[in-house]
Amino acid sequence: METVNERLDQIVEEFVDLDGREKLELLLDFANRLPPLSDEYTAKKNTEDRRVHECQTSVFLWPEISNGSMNLVAEVAEEAPTVKGFVAILAEAVASRPQPEAQELPEDLLEKMGLADVLGMLRSRGLRAIVSRVRQELINAK
Amino acid sequence: MAEYADPDVLVSTEWVAEHHNDPAVRIVESNEDRALYTQGHVPGAVEIDWQVDLQDQVVRDYVDRKGFEKICRSNGITNDTTVIFYGDKNNWWACYAFWVFKLYGHPQCKIMNGGRKKWQLEDRSWSTDRASYAPTTYIAPEQDKSVRALREEVLKHQKAGKNLVDVRSPEEYSGERLHMPDYPNEGALRGGHIPGAVNIPWPLSVNEDGTFKTAKELEKLYCKTNHLKRRSPTIAYCRIGERSSLTWFVLKYLLGFGNVRNYDGSWMEWGNCVGVPIIKGSHPQSAPDTNTPTSSP
Repeated sequence: METVNERLDQIVEEFVDLDGREKLELLLDFANRLPPLSDEYTAKKNTEDRRVHECQTSVFLWPEISNGSMNLVAEVAEEAPTVKGFVAILAEAVASRPQPEAQELPEDLLEKMGLADVLGMLRSRGLRAIVSRVRQELINAK
Repeated sequence: MAEYADPDVLVSTEWVAEHHNDPAVRIVESNEDRALYTQGHVPGAVEIDWQVDLQDQVVRDYVDRKGFEKICRSNGITNDTTVIFYGDKNNWWACYAFWVFKLYGHPQCKIMNGGRKKWQLEDRSWSTDRASYAPTTYIAPEQDKSVRALREEVLKHQKAGKNLVDVRSPEEYSGERLHMPDYPNEGALRGGHIPGAVNIPWPLSVNEDGTFKTAKELEKLYCKTNHLKRRSPTIAYCRIGERSSLTWFVLKYLLGFGNVRNYDGSWMEWGNCVGVPIIKGSHPQSAPDTNTPTSSP
């Protein structure tokens, strides 16, 4: 199984040569692949403080560790497909990988994908904050 | 006030559905989330992004006259085109793009009342085809300074005690927060508001379905409750000038304020400036226990 780094390299490779519009289309494909919350997590949404407050859209994250392997469960508002696609990429990258590999999530992922120029400075800053948050939560998760 | 001051500045979703092929009309989408246009837009609409297209990417400013001409030319907009703006978030960014078009003096600009939200609620069709139009020879004039307030002008305006409207959330206004609830802090060093500014959060101007409130409701909010005078010069501001573009639109076109400008530098400039006056707390002028007026003279 590929490491987080290897998976991210593959994703970056998919994005890097596309033009701006194609990049957004690919991001939408990832957004559509983010599975809806299971009933268990929908119930947790109302009782646990899992909302990412530094993010401009409604984002809920659950970093889960099971037998040393990571899983990122997330819900992102439908009206924010950019954020949803980006969170989906992070979730796919870390799925079932050992917890220490959370360190491999790079803050400049957006730049590597060539998305920073498509999205502009202000939006990019918000997404970079999400990478930091996800990485930190996965590192600290028990 | 039974009707909006300039009712022609709004068009309905029905009108847009009927005119999306009209060669005299260009429909422009401007969103907070760029991927929304890719996901689906009003058939025939082009996307003009407030951040990547309309802002200069080096200097903190808008594109220059040539840059603006280029945007219009490449989107098939002529000087005579009626440009209809719409977008997500109750038309925030649509109003922002509208405002930049007015900054460059484009005559016919309108907002599709209700934006993406209403189009969706009415279950109208979305297109994923990227619209493209034959290039034009658009010529833009120099910036119309009458719609924009710069820092020094705001300082003078504030000292003269004229209308100032802070459209941010009550928590940002009081200084309790440096940014919108749930939004990232983009780096203001100080919190609070410009002395004398009344706090009229922008969402109070719109309904659940994204449309603007009625003329009567808006007049009550701005003129009666908050004592703003139509004839007195007015400046609106927020954090980066986006939410205040919507309030600027409401004041100028829906309520008929004669002289209203958007301070696009907004709190991201004021809250970082050295030596400018700032008030903390929920009162326009100073602490609530002092006897100062709640509205400008």
